[in-house]
Amino acid sequence: MFSRKGGGAPLLFYREFPNMTASATPEETCSQETDGPPGDLAIWIFILAEMLVFGVMFLVYAFTRANQVELFNASQLTLSRTAGAVNTLVLITSSYCVVRAVSAIKQGMSHLCANWLSGAILLGGLFTSIKLWEFSEKFSAGISLESNDFFMFYLMLTFFHFMHVLMGMTILAFVTAKARRGGYSAQNHVGVETGASFWHMVDLLWIILFPLVYVIR
Amino acid sequence: MHFQSNRFSTHVWLILTVLTIATFSIGEAGLAGKGIMLSLLAIAFIKGQLVANYFMGLRQAGWFWRGIIIGYFLVVGGMITVAYLIGLK
Repeated sequence: MFSRKGGGAPLLFYREFPNMTASATPEETCSQETDGPPGDLAIWIFILAEMLVFGVMFLVYAFTRANQVELFNASQLTLSRTAGAVNTLVLITSSYCVVRAVSAIKQGMSHLCANWLSGAILLGGLFTSIKLWEFSEKFSAGISLESNDFFMFYLMLTFFHFMHVLMGMTILAFVTAKARRGGYSAQNHVGVETGASFWHMVDLLWIILFPLVYVIR
Repeated sequence: MHFQSNRFSTHVWLILTVLTIATFSIGEAGLAGKGIMLSLLAIAFIKGQLVANYFMGLRQAGWFWRGIIIGYFLVVGGMITVAYLIGLK
């Protein structure tokens, strides 16, 4: 179940544009369906647990807001929607870098894989820098966890997510270092897919967090 | 083949970028209400599916794993909708 049966990005293309991929080999064509998700199954159990925790937090936010709509709407206006949107683009782009890294290692290009991963980590650094700026703006304005329920949720949700970004950057840094040492290959790259899956989860959660906290009113 | 495959990923990234700008623009325009809220959740759902299927690679993982992500977005999005509607009363 944990073995990777090849496929990946090229096969994705076969599925999307079957008429443009006449060179697909029978072996590749048969390996399009796999039993499990990319990477180690253990990371997926962790990912689902994290998503569950965030899901509960999102719903507690939403139902708390239902009783204090005016307060939440007024407080939301003080957030920098631009910073939130830029950070969304930064995370999406970093996820794209990780996709390219996985694509590179599936073709045995270890150095290219490491370069794309480095790009993703740098963008992760940009995300955390923007977030720290946001936090400092709020703290210098005298806003804290105790200011009101909206800011308590805003600070808790975004800080919890922030910690996951740091965790993802750490995982990607280890994967990058191993890729630079030639520790992965076209046949053995489960570690790259495992790190990639975690990083995409961080992106996935922000995709809900941004409209929920910064935009919906 | 490699180039075309990466081009497909790039197209997905571009769509995600456009959808993010759409969400941002709705916020900047100060739009609000039930329809706007549903539109924002629909955009988030589409983005989530794009990331899960094409970035995470769950399109090759079978319906069990895809179903988990779809279900997650539907349940969380559905409950956010219920909470929003309660807040309108």
